[in-house]
Amino acid sequence: MNKWLAMFNAFVILALAAGCARLPYDTMAVEEQERLLVTLQQEVAPAGYTHPIQLTAADAAAILRGFSVRPQRALPLRWYAEDNPPKPLFREDEIRLLAPALSRALHLAGPDERVRFELRAPGLNSAASRDVTVGWVAVREPYWYVTVEQVHAQAPLRKSDQYDYNFPTPPPLPDSFLLYFEPGRYWGTDRSGTARGLDYRAFLKSAIVPTGGTAR
Amino acid sequence: MSSLLRLCAVMMVSLVWGSALWAAESGRLVEKDGKYVFVESMDPATQLLLERAVKQGTISQEEFNRVAQESERRAYLLQPSYRLWYDRGFNISLNDNAFLLKIRARFMGRMTSRVRNDAWRNPGDAKNFPELLGVFGDYRASRSDNESTQFNLRRARLYFMGHLFNPDFKYYIQLRGETAENAQSPGSLQLFDWFFTSTHVPALNVQFGQYKVYFNRAQINSTASMQFAERALVMDAFTGSGLDRRDIGLTLMNDDELYPVNYYLGVFNGAGPNFNRLGSFTSEQPTEGCPAGVSVAGCDTAQRNINSNVRMDLSKLMFAGRLMWNIMGRPGYGEGDLVYSETPQMAIAGGYAYNPSINTSSNNAFIGIDLGNLNYRRQLAAFGNGRQLGWGVVDYSTWALDYVLKYRGFSFQTEYYFKNVTRHDKGVPCMNAACTSVASALLGHAQGWYGQSGYFLVPKKLELAARYAYWDPDTNAAGDLVKEANVALTYYVNGNYDQTITVQYSNTAMGTGGYAIARSAPLPTGFGGVPLDARGGTLIENAIRLQYQIFF
Repeated sequence: MNKWLAMFNAFVILALAAGCARLPYDTMAVEEQERLLVTLQQEVAPAGYTHPIQLTAADAAAILRGFSVRPQRALPLRWYAEDNPPKPLFREDEIRLLAPALSRALHLAGPDERVRFELRAPGLNSAASRDVTVGWVAVREPYWYVTVEQVHAQAPLRKSDQYDYNFPTPPPLPDSFLLYFEPGRYWGTDRSGTARGLDYRAFLKSAIVPTGGTAR
Repeated sequence: MSSLLRLCAVMMVSLVWGSALWAAESGRLVEKDGKYVFVESMDPATQLLLERAVKQGTISQEEFNRVAQESERRAYLLQPSYRLWYDRGFNISLNDNAFLLKIRARFMGRMTSRVRNDAWRNPGDAKNFPELLGVFGDYRASRSDNESTQFNLRRARLYFMGHLFNPDFKYYIQLRGETAENAQSPGSLQLFDWFFTSTHVPALNVQFGQYKVYFNRAQINSTASMQFAERALVMDAFTGSGLDRRDIGLTLMNDDELYPVNYYLGVFNGAGPNFNRLGSFTSEQPTEGCPAGVSVAGCDTAQRNINSNVRMDLSKLMFAGRLMWNIMGRPGYGEGDLVYSETPQMAIAGGYAYNPSINTSSNNAFIGIDLGNLNYRRQLAAFGNGRQLGWGVVDYSTWALDYVLKYRGFSFQTEYYFKNVTRHDKGVPCMNAACTSVASALLGHAQGWYGQSGYFLVPKKLELAARYAYWDPDTNAAGDLVKEANVALTYYVNGNYDQTITVQYSNTAMGTGGYAIARSAPLPTGFGGVPLDARGGTLIENAIRLQYQIFF
């Protein structure tokens, strides 16, 4: 039993040493409505973003339209299973909703804030859940970074289960996704060499933006 | 043959337009085989032909639009209104979500390795958790060897839940098939919960059936959402009824996510789950008021075989109430701050339960063990209230006060309990018919508390928690305190309670002091001369539990 106790104590001490982690937290809601939530989130460590930036809704829409995504399978399935082809990250109706809010949020965000978005739709059981696409965006010139956490996932409407009374229903954890951008020449590893970003200024110069845009 | 063809055609249509996952009421993204696929509202071949027809001028744009619209409408009408999907259970939704069935299952398996001191060998525990033997329910001390390592299927549950007619009329069924750690026989499948809830009026929700009484925080919380592998002993000892956490009855309450102050008002049988007071009887001789099995002046001579079962106090009910103030946010009932609350979540609550006329033994001048239904007594012993056995008919008044705080991965909760045990038969009980020998002490009340705190070392993933629990099962007795300390480390595999791995260390010290009827001296006539607690001491147990839970 003493050996058991010693092992347990060692594990607890190791876990304590690894602890004290924190998560980004919301500082401001930029847009909150039935189908969309856009908030500013404070990073826990200095991020050095180049916010605020000026970006029209049409530019934001052109950028959003280029992204596609596919789920990243966990190991060892990744080695064996065939990958699904990437799908567009946003539908056109979602882009129409998200782009103006994103444009506003990037204008309001500070250098240590990122823009979190949550696109909402009725869930499969609309009384208990909603369909969400969740992620966050940040800009560190000249790169536009996107992280996708959920794509059309079922998120509970309430903090506890509506049927299993008082059983908590925490929102789903972020999943892993592989993100792509077309045209691919603007999508690459950033200068730090650690993250992928979109050279959005270069892209906007080449893109055709329907109306009200700055790109040509 | 033609009917077969028709059937095939219907099946083909059902398959094509079948589940809502394939539904194509308008072009939209749907999930199919774990993938998201965009489905056009119209059949692509038809669409191509129509578009060419528009280009060639065979049909006008208006005609195209009208046909496209009618095609969407047809697809919508043909789609059967049901959905099948997995989301925290297997879900079946029918008639545009008017009916929902969610099927879930929970497995909690563990390995327990424990070391007990010599006091567990003798005297063992004859007072808080005695074992009841035979049809008469003889009290036995629970004794054991010092060391043990065993695997146990601690919780094996099946759930059927959902709504009927509309989402505001809900049902919930839970079956259990597990065996408790010290159970004498294998568990069997048993109905655990079955209740209906109306949430039509948020300020006045109504719940009816068998479920956990809304009385104290520790019991309202599910065992699936605990920071520890097991509840503390004190939590089980102070249930609303004094018998079990579950009961059959009705509760009025408001929506706890809408209102800052929540109330729960319930009325129950007060007899525990799957049971009511009509099932509880004592034995009586042919002459009314004469206890069976013993010769009392003015009654028939004791006869063993020709007696009656008499049910008393049949109109009594249990009342339970709880009032909770969500001072900041909505901490809910799940333990630990798994969601990593960005703002403090704090609540304070109090509960009161009154359960009258619980027959702890027939008390018909044959103290201790007697003829009669054993269900109450088994429940008292199983939940640690064995010291209350043999004191005749009692009324339980139980209070609970709790507080909870959660903030950025940190959590703290504490609860205080007090149980007033009022005996109907006043005075010291007699140990024989002539009352020349009486109990050495009177039963007191009971009280206890616990405090537990946790912190997520890795947010939403890894939590370290500690708990201390204190329980005085008989306020009139000395040397009977139960003290418990726990430390647990839990890994939440998916960032929720549905899949967890817990390792817990527990130290429990249980005093064997105090007087317990038919186990301590003086013993009732005919019981012999050696009490079960002739040798005193404190029962100490150190245990490590390694547990895996999956709730799917």
